[in-house]
Amino acid sequence: MGGLTIIVPVKAAVPNVTAVRLDPVTHNLVREGVPLMLNPYDRNALEFALRLKDKYGGKVITLSMAPPSGKDFLESTIGMGADEAYLVTDRAFAGADTLATSYTVARGIQRLFPNFDLIVFGEETTDSSTAHMPAQVASWLSLPYVYYAVDAEVKLEDRLIIVNRYLEDEGVYETYEYRMPIIISVYRNSNPPRDISLVRKVEAKLNGLVKSVDNNTLKLERECVGLRGSPTIVSKIEDAKPVERKKQIFKGDPREAAKWLLDSLTKEGVIKP
Amino acid sequence: MSTAQAQQKICSEWNPVNKNEYRGIWVYIEYVNGTIKDGSLQLIGKARELASKINTDVTAVMLGSGLGDSVKEPIYYGADRVIYIDHPALVKYVPHIYANVIVQLANKYKPEIILFAATKRGRELAPYVANSLRAGITADCTELDVDPKTRDLDQVRPTYGGNILAHIRTPTRRPQLASVRPNVFPTPPRDTSRKGEVIEETVESLPSINGQGLIEVRPVVKGEELPPVEKADIVVIAGRGVGSADGVKLLTELARLIGGTIGGTKKAVDAGWLPADRQVGQTGKTIRPTLYIGVGVSGAIQHVFGMKESKVIVAINSDPNAPIFQYVDYGVVGDYRDIVRELIELLRGTKR
Repeated sequence: MGGLTIIVPVKAAVPNVTAVRLDPVTHNLVREGVPLMLNPYDRNALEFALRLKDKYGGKVITLSMAPPSGKDFLESTIGMGADEAYLVTDRAFAGADTLATSYTVARGIQRLFPNFDLIVFGEETTDSSTAHMPAQVASWLSLPYVYYAVDAEVKLEDRLIIVNRYLEDEGVYETYEYRMPIIISVYRNSNPPRDISLVRKVEAKLNGLVKSVDNNTLKLERECVGLRGSPTIVSKIEDAKPVERKKQIFKGDPREAAKWLLDSLTKEGVIKP
Repeated sequence: MSTAQAQQKICSEWNPVNKNEYRGIWVYIEYVNGTIKDGSLQLIGKARELASKINTDVTAVMLGSGLGDSVKEPIYYGADRVIYIDHPALVKYVPHIYANVIVQLANKYKPEIILFAATKRGRELAPYVANSLRAGITADCTELDVDPKTRDLDQVRPTYGGNILAHIRTPTRRPQLASVRPNVFPTPPRDTSRKGEVIEETVESLPSINGQGLIEVRPVVKGEELPPVEKADIVVIAGRGVGSADGVKLLTELARLIGGTIGGTKKAVDAGWLPADRQVGQTGKTIRPTLYIGVGVSGAIQHVFGMKESKVIVAINSDPNAPIFQYVDYGVVGDYRDIVRELIELLRGTKR
């Protein structure tokens, strides 16, 4: 078989982060019963993967560790063009921090798709935004990895990939060449995603194209996954307290407003008279 | 460690950890193109504060090729010791190679805490290091403290959009890794009279790059540009309310007159009025200028996350109920075009 086998791990993000409930004991986000959507940056990752597939052939497989309700948003990855989707779900995986999640994803991929060429992640999630997963999965699998990819070229016969990436804070593009398999995360402001075909999404639902995998299949050690495989604990949560501010408000004639503002800022010493 | 903890079965892929073997605070010093990143120097200041609470020292770790005298810089900013590796293979930054070298050093010296600046490279590097040590890691901390009894690092990070602060601890594993956004902490003063120990280390073995690794670097060519948002003392931010790229031009003029720079909210960047590297907020940059002026900025929590540490905050907005006014020192309600034009005129008047 030619072409590339590309795995795109995705996350069910909580659409409205200000209206969520936290578990009073573990302080983890309660995901049960919350409508889930595909993390927006994972769509850029999926687009990146689909462009490679369009050019070089092969297949794109999405995978997510999520509660059973995650089937729904995985159907939308098929709607966007993924060939297969896997829901990795088990009570044993609940309460995982990024170390335990990356373990489950890394070993899960190894067991289900041992011959993958690329694992392509979104830059980060919009709800917890750690950007840990790609590097952690790379560590479990001892593979090269590169963040902030914008595009890539593949030399199939040599199994080589040339990745361009953009470092936003330095304003620099870098090009890396690696022998596959490698791990990539995709720059969030690149690869604007194609539309989700509702027809394909409905077909995915009707034909049960999203497959569920639990720990009976993966057989991961209990101590390595979920809460038990998570070294970090959330010890306390609190509302973010804003810094005390003067809150002086001026309303009225623009000229007077401008004078008042320049006066105030000069007195503060933050602009020079 | 209690007996219960010691006896609790751990993942067979984890190494057992004796917490008492781990001492000292490390700061990873990011060295790119002959310069040390400000974000790394800022962490030395914070590490000093933590070290004094648990009576330990601060070590700066630097990797590269041809480091020269720059290995002394961390000492000038407050580190007690620098451990560096100067190796031709490290002339090219390759993420898994750099991460592996840091892991080798951490296994040898066993620090209890390792801090990384959450630059783009830092965010790429730190999770690989943490995971290879089977250690916990917390991203984008905005505050760090340490418990003198347990020596646990109290890592505070905004989460779920920034309206909740989570305190995260790693009670059973060492080292404890955290990344901190640049400009969350101030840069300590540089004092060239400070003395410290400088240790050159060697690498035992480097993993295979598996390919050529980094093959090309191309800086984006920029015209006559204002400084980047994270470097300026005064920052004028365009929000969705400025309505157009022309509005951004007007604000740029204001920024020039007061010796500042221009940036934007996610909405303004998504609209294409400003490049992505000028975005301030949760998915952009964190800034702490002496003066922040938000124009047409509504004050979404994701934006406030990236600017709330500014010394003086000003907002100009036509909506008196805009949430941004909750965060300001000085607010002006009105049409920004009129107000900014008046400001420009007044400033030109004083310049003449």
